[in-house]
Amino acid sequence: MESNGVMKHAASAWAFQLGPLARTGNTMPPKDDPELQKLRKELDDMMKKIKEEQDKVADKTLQDICGDMADAPKVRLTTKKLLKGHINKVNSVHFSGDSRHAVTGSLDGKLIIWDTWTGNKVQVIPLRSSWVMSVAFAPSGNYVACGGMDNMCTIYDLNNRDSTGAAKIVRELLGYEGFLSSCRFLDDKTIITGSGDMKICLWDLEAGKRSLEFEAHSGDVVSISLSPDSKTYITGSVDKSCRLWDLRDEKPKQTFFGHTSDVNSVCFHPSGYAFATGSEDKTSRMFDIRSDQNVATYCPPNSTSGFTSCGLSFSGRYVLCGSDDSSVHIWDTLKNQHNGCLTGHENRITSLSVAGNGMAVATCSWDNNVRVWV
Amino acid sequence: MDMMISNLQQQRQVTEQLRREAAIKRISVSQAVLEIMKYITEHEQEDCLLVGFSSQKANPFREKNSCTLL
Repeated sequence: MESNGVMKHAASAWAFQLGPLARTGNTMPPKDDPELQKLRKELDDMMKKIKEEQDKVADKTLQDICGDMADAPKVRLTTKKLLKGHINKVNSVHFSGDSRHAVTGSLDGKLIIWDTWTGNKVQVIPLRSSWVMSVAFAPSGNYVACGGMDNMCTIYDLNNRDSTGAAKIVRELLGYEGFLSSCRFLDDKTIITGSGDMKICLWDLEAGKRSLEFEAHSGDVVSISLSPDSKTYITGSVDKSCRLWDLRDEKPKQTFFGHTSDVNSVCFHPSGYAFATGSEDKTSRMFDIRSDQNVATYCPPNSTSGFTSCGLSFSGRYVLCGSDDSSVHIWDTLKNQHNGCLTGHENRITSLSVAGNGMAVATCSWDNNVRVWV
Repeated sequence: MDMMISNLQQQRQVTEQLRREAAIKRISVSQAVLEIMKYITEHEQEDCLLVGFSSQKANPFREKNSCTLL
């Protein structure tokens, strides 16, 4: 039965892209439009074909293949650092490529750069707009980016200060028609952004210009995850789908359906073969790229809250999701077993970042705090 | 007239995109999951959440109780 529901979501998302005439909000086109009806039928037939092709290769389940594996040990993470400093909700956290520094953005209008090994604040950057929703650390550690309801993405140079002593703004990326929801540096010269206007933009930071700009989904793009080889990326959207993109393309390679509500977060698997998700529908899922389907659905013991964020451990054995219920839920991805919760935060967890070397997990919350779990 | 043409183009693009996605080569779930499993097993020993730290000295987040040369 869930399969029918998923097909309806998929149909709705694809129909949305047929254009304004088709965006009636329901699944049926106006009666007196035979052209549109013909298109919708074509669309439905194509989707049925895709489902058939996916079913054809679904020869085994995850349980069939991994059932004999030994259970994964219980994850023993505790809060090694409770980072206090923000005085309002913290919306986003991201580790630097050095697995030591992390940046957080809060509604208190500040970015804080933390040394997670010591708990010290390395820099505090006051923002022109306090409505920050997303932050990103360049892998080099030289730059951070942030943006939100100001409908722009601002790039700060951590090695250069302005006259007030704060990190210098080197770029203000403008022209968005919706809030900035996600951003990721490919390197010091390139950033990719997702926004509430349903678009993806690839920016050349040296030139200060967009290299690419295109409509990526039928709803807000809320999460981006780069592949380990940086040649592709996954996007997650409120249109309930996830898409796989080649860096230079404006058309997706694949579209993944399965979630029954907003996909809030996506995370590429370190193998490059799959990705994990966290969703408003209170599940986390694993989508396999080469068989083009949802191969596992991870449910918490009590499904009360949606997941806002997700990450994978270094090998990919564990998936971790930050929840509206204030805890981080952990699963063994292969045996599909709930491995426990990390408790400590006192309000919704908004964002989660696993250090590149897999040694630590950083979370941030509406309780104004940031926690480093080791 | 222009609006109609661009709408048709847009609509054709959507069906073309769907056709492209339908036509991709898919491998079996069993092969796909086996290879993910292989990757995970090969990297298990480096996954701190799985095997922990080899010694406390290897943990940069540990409490340091004496002077450290940075």
